[in-house]
Amino acid sequence: MAADRLQVDTIVIGGGIAGMQAALDLADQGYRVALVEKNPSVGGKMIGLSKVFPTLDCCSCITTPKMAAVAYHDNIDLLTYSEVQSVSRNEQGFVVQVLKKPRYVIDDACTGCRSCELVCPLDLPDDANEFGRTAHRVIYVPFTTAVPQKALIDIDQCVFCGKCLQACPSDAIDFSQLPAFLEIQARSIILATGYQVTRYDAKKQYGAGKLRNVIDGLMMERLLAPTGPYGRVLRPSDGKQPASIAYVQCAGSRDETLGVPYCSRVCCMYAIKQAMLLSGMLPLADITIYYMDIRTFGKGYEQFYRSAQAMGITFVKGKVARITEDADQNPTVRVELIDDHSQVVERKHDLVVLSVGMLPGGDPQALYGVPTSEDGFVRIPNYNVAPATTTQEGVFATGTAIGPMDIVDSIVTASAAAAEVSAYLQSHYAAGSLTDAERSLIHA
Amino acid sequence: MPDPTAESQTAAAGKINASSPAGAPRIGVYVCECGGNIGETVRCEQVANALGKLANVTIARHYQFMCSDPGQKLITDDITEKGVNRVVVGACSLFLHEQTFRKTVERAGLNPYLYYHIGLREQDSWVHHECPADATAKAIRMMSAGIAKARLMQPLAPVHLDADQRVLVIGGGVAGLRAALSIARRGLPVTLIEKSHFLGGHVAQWEHLFPTDEDAAALLEGLIEEVIAESKITIYTGAEVVSTKGYVGNFDIRIRVQPRGVAKDFAAVDQAIAACPVQVPDEFNFGLTQRKAIYQPYVGCYPASPVIDREHCTRCNECLRVGQNGGIRLDEPPVEIDLKVGAVVVATGFRPYEPFAGEMGYGEFPEVITLPQLERLLATNDRLEWNARPVRRLAMIHCVGSRQIEGMHAPQPDGKVNDYCSRVCCTATLSAANRIHTRFPNVTIYDVYQDIRTYGRGHEDYYVRACKNGVTFLRHLPEEIPEVIRSEKGAEYPLLVKVKDRLTWGEEIELPVDLVVLSVGIMPSPISDLVDMLKIAPGNDRFLLEVHPKLRPVETAVAGVVLAGTAQGPMTVQESCAAAEAAATKVAVLLSRGKVELEPYVAQVDPERCQGVGECVCVCPQEGAIHLETRIENGKMLRRAVVTAANCNGCGVCVSVCPSRAIDVQGWRLDGFEAMVEAITAETPALEGVA
Repeated sequence: MAADRLQVDTIVIGGGIAGMQAALDLADQGYRVALVEKNPSVGGKMIGLSKVFPTLDCCSCITTPKMAAVAYHDNIDLLTYSEVQSVSRNEQGFVVQVLKKPRYVIDDACTGCRSCELVCPLDLPDDANEFGRTAHRVIYVPFTTAVPQKALIDIDQCVFCGKCLQACPSDAIDFSQLPAFLEIQARSIILATGYQVTRYDAKKQYGAGKLRNVIDGLMMERLLAPTGPYGRVLRPSDGKQPASIAYVQCAGSRDETLGVPYCSRVCCMYAIKQAMLLSGMLPLADITIYYMDIRTFGKGYEQFYRSAQAMGITFVKGKVARITEDADQNPTVRVELIDDHSQVVERKHDLVVLSVGMLPGGDPQALYGVPTSEDGFVRIPNYNVAPATTTQEGVFATGTAIGPMDIVDSIVTASAAAAEVSAYLQSHYAAGSLTDAERSLIHA
Repeated sequence: MPDPTAESQTAAAGKINASSPAGAPRIGVYVCECGGNIGETVRCEQVANALGKLANVTIARHYQFMCSDPGQKLITDDITEKGVNRVVVGACSLFLHEQTFRKTVERAGLNPYLYYHIGLREQDSWVHHECPADATAKAIRMMSAGIAKARLMQPLAPVHLDADQRVLVIGGGVAGLRAALSIARRGLPVTLIEKSHFLGGHVAQWEHLFPTDEDAAALLEGLIEEVIAESKITIYTGAEVVSTKGYVGNFDIRIRVQPRGVAKDFAAVDQAIAACPVQVPDEFNFGLTQRKAIYQPYVGCYPASPVIDREHCTRCNECLRVGQNGGIRLDEPPVEIDLKVGAVVVATGFRPYEPFAGEMGYGEFPEVITLPQLERLLATNDRLEWNARPVRRLAMIHCVGSRQIEGMHAPQPDGKVNDYCSRVCCTATLSAANRIHTRFPNVTIYDVYQDIRTYGRGHEDYYVRACKNGVTFLRHLPEEIPEVIRSEKGAEYPLLVKVKDRLTWGEEIELPVDLVVLSVGIMPSPISDLVDMLKIAPGNDRFLLEVHPKLRPVETAVAGVVLAGTAQGPMTVQESCAAAEAAATKVAVLLSRGKVELEPYVAQVDPERCQGVGECVCVCPQEGAIHLETRIENGKMLRRAVVTAANCNGCGVCVSVCPSRAIDVQGWRLDGFEAMVEAITAETPALEGVA
């Protein structure tokens, strides 16, 4: 377990795909890295996805080995369920205070056997991973492939029946656990704080989240994932297998009324990918994608779009104006068919997926003094040439913290951030600003 | 100062357990469902049950994701608790996760080469997804072959070699410059070579860069200044790779440097250029202007001294007459330099798509130009004029040379069309449109497109601004390609653009214009010789291919050769720099410890069996991999073959010719192959070898 004080070359904030990649790239070069993740497991948004474009690899195949790698790397201290409380500067860089939230389970003792889950009498909706569609126990391992494989207790819901205490073969349960504080001396900081999706209930024209068979792209990812709640695609209102599915593109992006004027860059491709997966799972279903512009710009993406067209997925140019529902809760979209003499039509579907966009995962101004641009993402002053360097010396940013991007680009920019950080560290070590004594403190 | 990270690297490298496990093989067998990728076709539980009955199999399991942490824990627990000493995993391709599982078994104290990987996904479930029963039977056969091999596996140790830390960066455009700078700042020496005689690549030709609207020349000047100031970087311009040998950590690369023909301190530059009588199209201005045979592409170029274009120089000696004896050296020969480098960064960049003669009027009507030409026109003129006439109306047509459709568009010489999106042209076009609007507000601009792809951070602003600036957008379907034709004689505007516009109910619209600008796509630089020399591969789109877009996005299949920038695919300046920095990181991971690790799959000679015939030496394709040595033993002179592991690539040709079966490739021994073939062809594979 990590000591109370830790000295590292870099502290990476965020254990999603970008944070993990940046941490691994630096640790593989011999730098000491602390990786701080606020959730109980690393993996970020990516671990919850189904298959990923354009190769259609299952996301676990790409993510889980990296999750294991950050957990076992000799040069990485992994701090999950931990949050940065404060950051201050000193001569050696930054002093970062980290709060380790209590899991009420002793990390070192828990083997992840899940015996506690079997005896716990209470179920809670799994909001964090499954939008409340499934349940987990009050004491639970976050998900099957979570890293670390350690249980935690939702203490507010616990009735302290003590069953887990009896069931645990390694005496790992500790109801009296308190938050722990850890001070990290870091030469540099990487913000890999990721994104959140735009709210699917934000637009009243699209039902403001009240139409049961209107879901968002991330929810559909779970329905499509092999680890998902049902193992198949069912619509929420009545559990019916949908025979007609529609995607509404730019449902949270390129829309000034939502305060998101920019393109979120990933939605075209994820909608097409989901449509392809759906047509594999439901070969008879009609799938329509309503779009403004199809933006399949990346390597192999245009060819991916062509394949989707060849598979029979229908692409309709037109911004959906309104979604309503009929008595059977079938959503009906109102749209102008631009390529078909601009007729305005209403079309009924069984399930509508809103292709929601990306918002920044957090505002780094208060903790790190790092300003954001008008779009809310971290401001990068020399954007073209030094895409990870922020306005604050020693603070870098990467992945979706610097703007919407897909997984491929997140991974590349994470490696780019590692290059900028290692150059920064080398310039400091060359100047001799870190003494041998200080280095020996590492992992003291 | 020594690299502060060196010590912890040594510590991190750890020690491999090279000792052979005692006792009989105890094999752990793991069948991965790969989410549904394998499990939906192959009945993994049935496979595990069948394999569990085979001899020496201690445990056989199936699991949803073997590569995840809980999956890996199944393996490490079985090694420590059940005494498993050989591991066979049936999962995705070994390309994806061989390294993952090697690390897993190593963590549990087992030699990493006592693990064998079977590709159940690519070789079974994906290709047989319509016949689950047969796929399950095949999985059992494939895995029982793996188990047969595992029984014979011996511990191996990777070959550790000293590595040259110098890195060769090929290409002096923005990606090459950025990569060189990042690598040097990480502490590794760099040789940067550029084929042309000037640094900067295509960015030197642009006026402003999106999404920052910054001055391209200023950006480049800043970057070049930093590169020049970096003492660890050696630059050669006019330089090309002529041969390559070796492997990661130890490449021998010969470069040829063409002379500039002009001394660095030559002062009478302007006079010499004025004296030159030759006129050739100036590639810097995309042929819009002419230049001399002695030239500088632009003011502020680096290096600043001019160069003599030997292809077009007529050796008239006019430039020699302007004075300063010895300043101009027409007969200077090229120089060849041998470099020893540990890694190579390929940053060879792109070239703009060149439309065919007659494609949308290009080459047929002088009023049809490309977007790069328009950029030069804007950069070099105060007024927007073409053929000495003011441009009043202008049409910009997107996707020329991109998103092409087979059968509708003329193919390139290789028979393929450019079916990819070139990614940067939409925003570049709108950036130009907005600049024209700002500088020449009376010009009417039409934008003819299929989809506007202003995808990146800040890109959408250009679209919004163009709409506000009154740019008229016309949208056509991919199969309804716009036409550019000559207007009738006496018409006010020389050209007509015919578009079937889907934004106005499919109306056929004719746009009378003064100038048509084709928004041409991006193609890779022609580098087939270099591709062959480095043994790397282009993809279907002709851009260089990465190993995997997510797992190893800037690495090629050749260890030590990495990609930076548009050699890999269309990219913006920001994306090129990010890719270049990612390449720098991969190089640093490889070389910063001064050692590289190679697979132990090399030839091994059994000196008892070797007769010293030397057939192996004759057929070996690798220089210095195998040779004969003579030694005296018991008064007899013996000749025996000896392998130099560092030079052997494990191809096995020597194995096939040895008359006494004295050679084997470690890790891939003949007895292993025989056992695998027997297992795979067994009558009842699941029961074969049951004790």
